Amino acid sequence: MIRVQKLVGGYTHSPIIKGLDLEVKKGEFFALLGPNGSGKTTLFKLITGQLPINSGKVSICGKEISTLSKLEKAKKMAVLTQEVQVSFDYTVEEIISLGRYPHQKGIFKQLSKKDRKVIEEVMEITQISEFRTTQFRLISGGEKQRVLLAKALAQEPEILLLDEPTNHLDIKHTFQMLNLLKERQQTTGLTIFAILHDLNVASLYADRVALLHNGSFLEIGEVDLLRKESQLKKVYEVKVKSQSHPTVPKPQLLMTPSHFSSNRLFNFDDSYKIKQGEDYLHVQFDQPLRTISNTEVGAGVQWLKHFCQFQGPHSDIQQLMTKYSLPHEQAAGIMTAVKLEEMVMITKVIEDIHMMVIVTEGAGKTINIMLYIDAHFTDGALVDGYMSAVEAKVKVLHDLHYSQTIAAVASTDIVLLALTQQGTKIACAGSGTVVGRAIGQMVYGAIKESFSKYIEKVH
Amino acid sequence: MRNSSIPKYLNNKIGWLYVISGGLLLGISLLGLFYSSVTVTVPTILHIIIDKTLNMGWLTNIAKNEEMIIWNIRLPRVLLAFCIGASLALAGAAFQGLLRNPLADPYTIGVSSGASLGAVLVLFFQVSIVGLGSFTLPVVAILFGLISLLIVFGLVRLSSKSLAIETIILAGIIVSAFIGALVSLIISLSDRESMTQIIYWLYGSVGMRGWSHIQLILPFMLIGSFILISHYRELNALALGEDAADHIGVDVRKGKTFVLIGASLLTGAAVAVSGSIGFVGLVIPHLVRLITGPNHRHVLPLSMLVGGSFLILADLMARTIIAPKELPIGVITALIGAPVFALLLIRERFGKGANK
Repeated sequence: MIRVQKLVGGYTHSPIIKGLDLEVKKGEFFALLGPNGSGKTTLFKLITGQLPINSGKVSICGKEISTLSKLEKAKKMAVLTQEVQVSFDYTVEEIISLGRYPHQKGIFKQLSKKDRKVIEEVMEITQISEFRTTQFRLISGGEKQRVLLAKALAQEPEILLLDEPTNHLDIKHTFQMLNLLKERQQTTGLTIFAILHDLNVASLYADRVALLHNGSFLEIGEVDLLRKESQLKKVYEVKVKSQSHPTVPKPQLLMTPSHFSSNRLFNFDDSYKIKQGEDYLHVQFDQPLRTISNTEVGAGVQWLKHFCQFQGPHSDIQQLMTKYSLPHEQAAGIMTAVKLEEMVMITKVIEDIHMMVIVTEGAGKTINIMLYIDAHFTDGALVDGYMSAVEAKVKVLHDLHYSQTIAAVASTDIVLLALTQQGTKIACAGSGTVVGRAIGQMVYGAIKESFSKYIEKVH
Repeated sequence: MRNSSIPKYLNNKIGWLYVISGGLLLGISLLGLFYSSVTVTVPTILHIIIDKTLNMGWLTNIAKNEEMIIWNIRLPRVLLAFCIGASLALAGAAFQGLLRNPLADPYTIGVSSGASLGAVLVLFFQVSIVGLGSFTLPVVAILFGLISLLIVFGLVRLSSKSLAIETIILAGIIVSAFIGALVSLIISLSDRESMTQIIYWLYGSVGMRGWSHIQLILPFMLIGSFILISHYRELNALALGEDAADHIGVDVRKGKTFVLIGASLLTGAAVAVSGSIGFVGLVIPHLVRLITGPNHRHVLPLSMLVGGSFLILADLMARTIIAPKELPIGVITALIGAPVFALLLIRERFGKGANK
């Protein structure tokens, strides 16, 4: 649909675009990414014909752009940019009818029946029919952008060029706008070529992306190229971490601001307080810890400060947390049947790693392990450490001949690992490594002590 | 139901506006023909006009002097006032649309100053070109107007490739200021009699011109109006800004050039035959836009009708307030125009405040 060959061009004598090749296929949503000054807008203007081409070729729909008249171009290709200033008080409908310009004929061109039909349709699609007689000046930013999109669609284009169309919009209007565009692309085969600032939005909506840097493409391809963290770091000069969207199989990028990179170390042993009541146990850290757990509240991989256990049965853990004024967004919490006053807490330094473990266990039926470690784990090490803890639990039960019981109750067992994330990064924490062994030792020791307490009591 | 009824209602409203403006024009024209020191009854006026235009020769029962007054003095005066008012208002509307500035008027880009300079030179040197006679002044004025348009264009071309709006306005101001200085220089060098003549001319008047001046302005007015009205869509598109206009397929440079030429023809010709009459080109398009909305398809023709009517009325007042002497028509338009414009500004501010 759009074909760019060996394109060189841009302002004045030093071209900003230095020899680009690009092909956007029919019906594709193609996003052009790159930092400010990388030449995105220049490339855009070379395609619209607003800037002269120094050498190379740009063709749309198989025809070279310089051979097309402005009207022919406008029939094939519409443009939507950031909000435009409209002088005078035109109504929404008047603005949209401007989109019919390239299709009108005659000397005193009037809107034909077909023009009116198209205008009605695009107003319907963009849901702005209700504003048709309102002045453009008086509607909100999101509505304005929908009106301008309607104007672009009224041109009945095969290609839609977007220049940061959602730049000043809030999340609601950004997604409304892009959903609308995506739906057009999927239902009518509209080809979309968009400059997008937000890499995460581009990842969710684009079929393919191109990464522009200093006037040339670093890479063109599927959105999964956004998983290349080092490349993005080079282009944007920001620490970037790539993750997968939790529900959509697309990469999402997380940026790390520089003030978080400098690690201010704190003393592990002084950084927490433990409060224990008759029916609750609350461990509070000064700093949030990186946690991995299967707790009722705060499951998965998180950053949390509060770790609490409530003795049940009680219907609503959230209610209890509110009662003790624990913020549930920053807490891991469980409801358990075990007696909390019989908890075992051990602090130890193994191989220079400070650790603290709390085990609550009830009559050999349920075992809750919460292990706090003063170390820096990667995501992989976090999973390794979790396995090491579970392995130690299984081993101690086996050694104490409790293997039959666990099978019956394991589903309610809790394991939580929390890390301070300070010090050197550890990439591996399996049971064969130093840290892994230390984790095993802590868990094994604590469970064993808890059991011996129980056995003492029984006998 | 709702979808189809609204545009119909709008069309009806616009239709009525044309009818009302047309009626207003007819009424004011008749008033202009009727109201004067010598009273001629309305049926007689209509009789004379119909007979003369259709050339039937049934005027035997009407006094010769009445026929003379109506046909040779009052009718050309009313028609000329209409032509000039219509030209200035249309040019003003076009300039405001083109420059995206509601404060622009036909004099913004310096064509009128050029025309004035031409006229002033003719009055100062008391020249008369052979073959032109009393036409010397308007012809020279139009020529000077066109020359100043070329100078403005040249300046804009030299400083900006894309005919940027800001450059057009600046070049217009520069040229106007320079020519204004030349006019002042000539006035200060002239003797008492020609000074009075020049100043009186600069205030503007549509009196004592006759049919010949209508013949002079008519071709410019027709061509200019045709150019502007046929470019109404380009003017609408330019409201979005030049880039956006380009994106919907408007040849922005060509459109701007045509509109500039059309509006300059209208302004130059109007100034050449009547002197520089202010405020018509500024206030009338504003007033029309307030009622019809900004769509140039209606703003342009309605500005012509309303501007024409306004100037006929202004001329009527100019010659009746201190009759038998006449006031300069420019004074009347400014006296009416400035307060109306001030009112519009205040109203607009309060209107916007209430809406937001």
